[in-house]
Amino acid sequence: MRSERSLAPYLLFMPTLIYLAVFLVYPLLKALFMVITPEEGTGYTLANIYAVLSDSTFWEALKNTILLAAVIIPLQVFLALMLALFVNTKFRGYMTIVYLITIPLALSDVSAALMSYNIFSPSGYINKILLNLNLIKHPIYFFGFNATTSEFWVIVITEVWRATPLVFIILLAGLQMIGREYFEAADVFGFTKFQKFIYITLPLLKPSLQSALLLRTLFAFQIFGVVWLLAGRDIPILAGETFYQQTELQQYHIAAVYGFVIALISILISWVYLTFLKSAKEV
Amino acid sequence: MKKFAVIGLMVLLVFVVSAYAVSAPKIYFVSTQMHPAGEREFMVGTLLKSFAKESGINVEFLALTYNEMLSRVSAEEKTGKVTISVIGDLHGGLDVMASRNLLQEVKGIPLPNRTFISTLEKYSVIKGKKVYVPWMQATYVMVVNKEAYKYLPNGLTKEDVRKPTEKWTYEALLQWAKNMKEKTGTPKFGLPMAPKGLFHRFLHGYLLPSFTGYEAKEFDSPNGIKAWEYMRKLVNYIHPASSTWAAMSEPLLKGEVLLAWDHTARIKPAIVQQPDKFEVIPVPRGPAGRGYIVVAVGLAVPKKAPQKEAAYKLIDYLTRPSTQVLVLQHVGFFPTVKEATGKIPTGALRILARGVTAQSSSPDSVIAMIPNLGKYGGEFTNTYRKVFKKVVLQKASLQKEVSAAAKLLKSLFEKAGTPIQ
Amino acid sequence: MDKEKIKSLLTFLIAGMISLWFLTPIIFITLSAFATSKDYYNPNYIIPRHYTFSHFYKLFFTLSAGHATLISLSVAALTILLSFLLGVPAGYALSRYKFKGKNTLKLTVLSTRMFPLMILAIPLLIIFMQIGISDTLWGIVLAHTTMVLPFVILITSSIFAGVDIAFEEAALIFGLSRSKAFFKITLPLALPGLAASAIFAFIMSWNEVFVASILTLQNRTLPAQILSTAMDSPDYYKFTAGFIMAVPALVFIFFARRYLVSLWGISLK
Repeated sequence: MRSERSLAPYLLFMPTLIYLAVFLVYPLLKALFMVITPEEGTGYTLANIYAVLSDSTFWEALKNTILLAAVIIPLQVFLALMLALFVNTKFRGYMTIVYLITIPLALSDVSAALMSYNIFSPSGYINKILLNLNLIKHPIYFFGFNATTSEFWVIVITEVWRATPLVFIILLAGLQMIGREYFEAADVFGFTKFQKFIYITLPLLKPSLQSALLLRTLFAFQIFGVVWLLAGRDIPILAGETFYQQTELQQYHIAAVYGFVIALISILISWVYLTFLKSAKEV
Repeated sequence: MKKFAVIGLMVLLVFVVSAYAVSAPKIYFVSTQMHPAGEREFMVGTLLKSFAKESGINVEFLALTYNEMLSRVSAEEKTGKVTISVIGDLHGGLDVMASRNLLQEVKGIPLPNRTFISTLEKYSVIKGKKVYVPWMQATYVMVVNKEAYKYLPNGLTKEDVRKPTEKWTYEALLQWAKNMKEKTGTPKFGLPMAPKGLFHRFLHGYLLPSFTGYEAKEFDSPNGIKAWEYMRKLVNYIHPASSTWAAMSEPLLKGEVLLAWDHTARIKPAIVQQPDKFEVIPVPRGPAGRGYIVVAVGLAVPKKAPQKEAAYKLIDYLTRPSTQVLVLQHVGFFPTVKEATGKIPTGALRILARGVTAQSSSPDSVIAMIPNLGKYGGEFTNTYRKVFKKVVLQKASLQKEVSAAAKLLKSLFEKAGTPIQ
Repeated sequence: MDKEKIKSLLTFLIAGMISLWFLTPIIFITLSAFATSKDYYNPNYIIPRHYTFSHFYKLFFTLSAGHATLISLSVAALTILLSFLLGVPAGYALSRYKFKGKNTLKLTVLSTRMFPLMILAIPLLIIFMQIGISDTLWGIVLAHTTMVLPFVILITSSIFAGVDIAFEEAALIFGLSRSKAFFKITLPLALPGLAASAIFAFIMSWNEVFVASILTLQNRTLPAQILSTAMDSPDYYKFTAGFIMAVPALVFIFFARRYLVSLWGISLK
């Protein structure tokens, strides 16, 4: 590591900083400005914020977004942990399984939603199979205005399918970093498998778990493509309403308020996690 | 010396050829119509291809939503860098663009051998200025799978529905839909309720005019309340997957529904594929009459459009009787020139045309035009959908929601500077 | 002995179930993308029997998915180019220099992730309209670079950290200038890792749908085009489009599988 006093590192960093100032900081300020100015006319106003907060669709969207996150994240973390522990036993051919699990990792939400539609649509595979087995007479409709519950669960399944691998890979990396010597020591003390998991694996996996959680929570509040394609606005969500306000209703300033709500939630979550992480490290 | 001449000639040739290649006319045609995949395919793959063959003009077809198009046309006008040569849009949209002075007058374009239908011609002249050339027209009708006639309610005959007589009412529709659900086990009446479907047109152009005589003006009148009470009953017999359908032809073809309401263009594929199975019928009437929308689509030219001559040629091509029949055949938009009407072949198109004619010649018609609300158009339609969601699906207080929405609608018309209709 | 057998059988079973869970949707969409519509709608055929390329043909040539695919590819390529031009030097600085404010800079880069793209898309559209690049692929490239850049910096810095500094110092001793040492020694050694992170950036850009949908109308990327048209198109369109979207992802996972754990490990810290 070079530590001589030189301008080089600053010069190397300069383009990035300029770029982020122009295309990140400036737009953010502009968005803030849009939030507090009217769509037409001049001056400052809280009317946009008021309009959003007094719209029941906003609260519905907030509720749905939180609900989806609250169901999806624990499921993903639990499944990913099980998968990682299973794969980490390093049975013969386990790398193939790692490869298979990671396939959805690079898939887009649009693609995953269409795959899900292919399975759950009225003429999709589930209905075909059930019809063939004579278990049902009419196709089951998983999507529709009075099927918001099944829409919700199809979204959950799709998101779990698509994004569990992300958590999995973080946890697997974490597991692989745990030194063998811990377990050897535990053997000396005659720990059972369960005790090893509780007293060694979990505490040492904590940083990975935390970063996986942070990341998934951030992404969960930005959920968009899967919901938009599968449920339209049957299940309003924050990002979907941002999109709807912006593209269909052309209410840019209202859309900016929605965007800001997502940003504020993200910042809040990051802050909570970061202080939590810090205090955990200091202990 | 000879060598030089040959080389010189060749260089010249290359220049000429490349110059020709560069200047091979290509124009942009933006449209808010012909968006669904199949329609776009026909537009690009059939119509514009044959136009290019005939005229040597390549046309780039861009499907935009109205808001996208308006912001684009105004931005181009402002910056002076106009790329669009021809605009295809609804009467209401063109009206707004004309009022913002974005369009040139299209009087005197050579359009031989055709007579435009007089009502459409009348609509295309706005404040004394000929703003667009009527291109296509359409409406929204009902399609019935003949099997559904088995479930007609007592006292209502096929003839009542086809003609239509005053017995073909919204109450009768409710009874019919109820019969179908009870006798087949699942709801068999469908509406295109997906975010991109045209369900809002049903609400503001059919339901409310039939109950109140207006789209928005009498929204919270006692009859307006009745309209929503009616929807609360009807929803039990609407196929629940409706909220995933943006167009009704697929569910009709798959037999998921036996009776549906949609835009003529969007039910067309079903009738073409199985003409023996379906009939097109007029919509029912309510206490105030038989409310329905007439959709007029026009072709306009932006003020500073490039390649105007090519644009006129395209307009000539698209309004020719033979092209108009093709459009009807493939897309389901009806001709705007009289000469085309006689050329409609038998089969699917006859079925469509018969239903549309029956509807438009019904004496109790209450014609609704899609209002010109400019940028508030989205909020306008969203209001109807929102009331439906709140009042009908979520069972919120009817009176409260309806009067709040009535106020909002009134303010939208005021903000847009359009008289409430 | 028996216990061992049961255990390996159990492992095999669980592994089988996991594979099935992750593969089935991909197999199904592949089937649907190629199946004739007639077979797809035939409730008696769970697995379609007749296959065709016609859906792809229609999608690419008449429904402008071909155009959208080209735009998606160019956007991704330009995003990689721009974000590497900006990010590789910064990543190099983070890995090779000790300097005042280094941690602050690193934290700044990290903190950009707190801002979701949704909040950026709206003002960016207006800014791009003002400078006349709305509805061009450059607009999407600039927005995608903002999204990808922090990842590129963090990934490249850790890749450079993995290249032993001793090589570079040896080169300096032999009289190479610092920039020459970088281009002749460090860069080639870091190349495989950089290539993997380029694919990573490619996938991020290829998959992004929200910003691309908002910033463009006519020059839509493939996911934006699908998002706006899929649900009012016939079923085959949905499945063929979903399949096409998935292909680069599958290829990527295949080629980058060696780097998967470390790449994501780094990018997710």
